[in-house]
Amino acid sequence: MNIKITYNWLFEYLDTDATPDQVREYLSLCGPSIENVEKVGDDHVFDIEVISNRIDYASVLGIAQESVAILPMFGKRAKFKMNPLNEYKFERINNELRITNYELNVQIKDPSLCPRFTAIVIEDVKIGPSPKFISERLVACGVKSINNVVDISNYLMLALGQPVHVFDYDQIKNSTMIMRESKKGEKIVTLDEKEVVLPGGDIVIEDGSGRLIDLCGIMGGLNSAISDKTKNVLLFVQTYDKVKIRKTTMTTGVRTIAATFFEKGLDPERVEPTLVYGIELLEKYAQGKVGSKLYDIYPEKQEEKLLVMNFEIFEKKIGVKIPEKTINSILTNLGFGVVIAPSKGQTLTQGQTLQITVPSWRTNDIDIPEDIIEEVARVYGYQNIPSILQPIVYVDQPKDMENIFVFQNRIKIFLKHLGLNEVINYSMISKKMIEEFGLKVEDHLRLSNSISEDIKYLRISLLPSLKKNIKENSGKKDVLKLFEIAKVYIPVETGHAPSLPNETYRLGIAVNTDYSDLKGIVEAIYMELNINVETPYRASVPEINEKNGVFLAEIDFQSLIDNCQLVPKYKPLHPYAIIKLDKTFDLRANIKFAPTTYSEIKQNAFKSKLLQKIEVVTLYQNKLTLRFYYSSPDRNITEEDAKAELYKVRPYGDGVT
Amino acid sequence: MMDNKKYEEEISEVKSLDKLNELEIKYLGRNGEINKLLSEIKNIPNKEKREYGQKVNLLKTEIKKYIEIRKLIVSKQKSEVFFDKTLPGKTYPKGSLHIVSLAIEEITKVFEKIGFIRVSYPEIDWEYGAFESLNMPSGHPARDDVETSFIDAPAHSTLGKMVLTPHTSNGQNREMKRVGKPPIRMINISKCYRPNWDATHTPMFHQFEGLCVDHEINIVNLKGTLDYFAEKYFGKGTKTRLRPHHFQFTEPSFEVDITCNVCGGVGTIHELSVQRKCRVCKSGWLELGGTGMVHPNVLREGGIDPEKYSGWAFGFGIERVIMMKYGLDDIRNYYSGDIRFLEQF
Repeated sequence: MNIKITYNWLFEYLDTDATPDQVREYLSLCGPSIENVEKVGDDHVFDIEVISNRIDYASVLGIAQESVAILPMFGKRAKFKMNPLNEYKFERINNELRITNYELNVQIKDPSLCPRFTAIVIEDVKIGPSPKFISERLVACGVKSINNVVDISNYLMLALGQPVHVFDYDQIKNSTMIMRESKKGEKIVTLDEKEVVLPGGDIVIEDGSGRLIDLCGIMGGLNSAISDKTKNVLLFVQTYDKVKIRKTTMTTGVRTIAATFFEKGLDPERVEPTLVYGIELLEKYAQGKVGSKLYDIYPEKQEEKLLVMNFEIFEKKIGVKIPEKTINSILTNLGFGVVIAPSKGQTLTQGQTLQITVPSWRTNDIDIPEDIIEEVARVYGYQNIPSILQPIVYVDQPKDMENIFVFQNRIKIFLKHLGLNEVINYSMISKKMIEEFGLKVEDHLRLSNSISEDIKYLRISLLPSLKKNIKENSGKKDVLKLFEIAKVYIPVETGHAPSLPNETYRLGIAVNTDYSDLKGIVEAIYMELNINVETPYRASVPEINEKNGVFLAEIDFQSLIDNCQLVPKYKPLHPYAIIKLDKTFDLRANIKFAPTTYSEIKQNAFKSKLLQKIEVVTLYQNKLTLRFYYSSPDRNITEEDAKAELYKVRPYGDGVT
Repeated sequence: MMDNKKYEEEISEVKSLDKLNELEIKYLGRNGEINKLLSEIKNIPNKEKREYGQKVNLLKTEIKKYIEIRKLIVSKQKSEVFFDKTLPGKTYPKGSLHIVSLAIEEITKVFEKIGFIRVSYPEIDWEYGAFESLNMPSGHPARDDVETSFIDAPAHSTLGKMVLTPHTSNGQNREMKRVGKPPIRMINISKCYRPNWDATHTPMFHQFEGLCVDHEINIVNLKGTLDYFAEKYFGKGTKTRLRPHHFQFTEPSFEVDITCNVCGGVGTIHELSVQRKCRVCKSGWLELGGTGMVHPNVLREGGIDPEKYSGWAFGFGIERVIMMKYGLDDIRNYYSGDIRFLEQF
C-alpha cells in the first residue's frame, strides 16, 4: 500500500533543515521508500510505499519518527518539536467534574473483537467547510474534502495513523451500541450507499433498535452518517482483531483505507492521542464541546516487549563494527528504550548486555534480535557497509542434477545448429488442446483456481502446445521447425498418502515439413549423443505423430542421458579392406517371404558379424537400393566373403546386385 | 583435315565448357575425327604409314593442347564474368535458443565461478515448501501477497495443499535438507507460477534463487555477491544499492536496485540538446528484486542451527533481468511461441 503526506505537515511535529528532496533520498535509503515528491502549491507531497510489517510509519507522525532517526545520520538536523504521543493525553480532556448531557450504553459481546474501544460525544458541532489547511492537505494527499467533521476524522488518520469514525450521535437509537459478530446474510448499507451482505463472523455494531450502524474497521453505516443536520457527533476510535477485519474486507470486497490499516493490526496505545487530538480539532474547527464522559474500554493493556542481546551479535550479523554509541542513539531515536546492563555474572566493563524495550507501535514487527539488527543496520545505512564476497568453497553438485542441465544445454545448442527454433510454452494448457490431441482430460492435474480456461491443466505431453505453435505460426514462415525441453507433470496414484506428481523433462519436436525430416532430426540427436540406433535393440527411436500436416515427436529426456555415451566405444583402426556391395530390394508386400521394410532388412543383415553399416542409396517406387559395408578387423575379406554374407539376406528378398 | 587448321579456328571461337567437351568428343572421341584418320591407315601405302601415323599423332597432340588451353581460358573467363564475391555464401541453417534459456545459461555461469551449484527442485510442491518452511504459517497475511495457484488434488495431512510454486524459494528448505550440513551455495532456477495475466505479468515466469549458508555469513557478503553479479551480468561499473524491505523468510530484508544502463545511473539523459528524465529508471536506479539474511526460523526448519550458521538468500526474476539488460519489455511475447520473436535470438 502507499500513503501520501506532505512536507509542511511534517513540521507540525518535526524540526529539520532537510529539504523535501533530501527527505526523499535519505528516507528511501534507510527506511520508508518515498517513490515520488510532487510540488503542490507551496507544499510538497510525498508518495510513500508502506511495507506490510510497517503500518506504524504510515502517517505524518510515523514519518517524523523515521526522520528523527535517519536524517541525523546524513548530517541533517531532525528532532521532535512536539511529540503527540506525549502531548495528547486523556488528562487534557479533564471533564471528570463536568456534568454531561449525553451518554452511551456500550456492550461488547466478545472482548477479543476489539482490544480497545474509545468514544466520546462532542455536542453542538457546526457542520461546515474545513479550515483551508485541513482541506488543502487532504486533497493534496488524495482524500476528498467533505465537511469539517468528516475531514477531521480523515485528517486524524493521516496525522497519527489511526483510522477514526464519526457517527451522528442522534441517529444511534437509544444511545446504545452492541458490538458483536455478524450473522450470515445480515445486511448493512454503508456510507457509499451500497448494500453489503455479510458472510457472517464480521465485526458489526447494532444500535438500540437492532439495526446495524457500523461495519467495524471498514465502513460506517449510512443510517448513522454525519449530515448537514448533524448536531452531536460521536467520535469513535478503536482497534480491532486484525484477522477478522482482513477476512471481512477480502470476502465482501469492501476495501477501504481504514481496512488496510486495521487488517495489519494497530497499536492500542495510539488510540489515546488520536481521540484527544480529535477532540481538540472538533472543538477548534467545528465549535463543538465535550458532551459525554470518555468511554475507554481497554481490558488488557499490552505488556511492554523486552529483548535482551549483546553487542557482538551486531558485528557478527552485519559484518562490520558499528560503534556502541551509534547503536544506542539509532535505537533511541526510533523510540526503543535502551538500557545497557552487565552481562550475566559479569561487571559492566567485562561484558555488556543490551536490554531493549520495544515501543508499543512496533510490537507487531519486532520479535527477535535479528529485527533489532535490521533497525540498526538500515539506519546506519546499507551504503556504509562494505561489500566482500564470502569465501569460495567447494560444494558437490549431485550428478543427476548436473546431467540434466549439461545435456539440456548441449541438445538445445545442437538443435539450434540444425536450424530449429526453441520455444517455451506455458506448463498449463486448455481442455480443448488436450482433447484435440486425443489425450484424456482426466489424466491431467487441474488447477483449482485457474484464471483462464486456456491454462487449466498441467501438461503430460509437450506436443499439444507444439502443435498449436506450428498452427499459430502458419503464414509467418514457410518452414517451421520447433522444439521445447520442459517438464511434464504425471499424477502419481497412491493408495494411501497423497503424492506430488512425477516431474520429468521431455524433449518435444514439431516440424511442418515431412516425416523423414523429423526422423532425421531425431536420428541426428541420437548420433550426437553416440546412442547407437543402427544396431537394433539398443534405443528405440520415438514414434512420430502426424496431425494435420504437423509432424511431432517426444523423447523422455532422462532416457537420452541414460543411453548417451560421452565418448563412443573406440573401434581400433585396421588396415583391412572394406567391401561395398549394393543391393536392391523389392518392398512389394505380395512377394512371398519378402521383407516389407527397411527395418526388417536391417535386422536380418546385421546378423552378419562382418557388416559395418548400411546406407540407403535410393528408393525408386518400391525398389530400395542399399549399400552394405563389409569388413573384418583381423583379416582381409574377399568380395566373395562379403557376397556370401549379403546372400544370407537373400532368402527374404529377390535382390539383384 | 590434316592440313587445314579449321579446328584451330573452331576451338578458338568456343565460349563454353560444354561446347568444348562436344568438340573434344568430335575430334578426340572414340568415333572422332582423329580415330577416323587413324582407321584410314590401312589404305595408306606401307612406306608412308609411319609418316602418316606420326602426323596424325602430332595433330592429336596439337588439338588436345588447343582444347586444354581453351578450357583454361573459357573457365577463367567464366569466373571473371559470373563470380561475384559479394554474393552471400552457401546457406547454413540458423536456429535459435529462447532468450530465457540464454539468460539462464549466462546466470548459471556467473554463479558457478564463485562456487554455486545449480539445483533442480519440484515446480509443484506442498504448501509447506512454498510457505510454512519459509516462516509463513497458515493464515499469515504475507501469504496473500504471494498469489498462488492451487492444484485440485487431495491435501497432504501435514504438508498442506498442492500448489504451483509461486517462487523458487521452496528450494531453500529442500536444499538445506539435502545438504544436511553447511556450506550451502545454491542457485535454483525454475519456472514459477502466479494467477496473474496482463500486459506486465504472465501466469508462468522464471526466477533464480541464490542461497548461501555457512559460518559467519553476513550482510557484507550479501553485498559482495550482489555487486559481483551486477558487474558480471550487467557490465562493469554497474552498482547496486540495498533498501530496507520486508519478507517473511529473511531478516533483515532488502530490495536491491542497480544503476540504470540507459542513463548511466544519473536519472537524466541528454537528448536533442536538453536534459530529460530517463524513461527506463527512477532517478538512476532500477529495481532488481528482493533479498535478505535468511530468517532463523527458516534455517531451523531446514535442520540448521541458527546459533552456528547464518546465510543470505535472494530471488530475482529472469524475465526482469532480461528486460533490464536487453530492453525486451513486452513479456507477453516470451511465451506466445511467435516465430518472429523466437528466431531473433
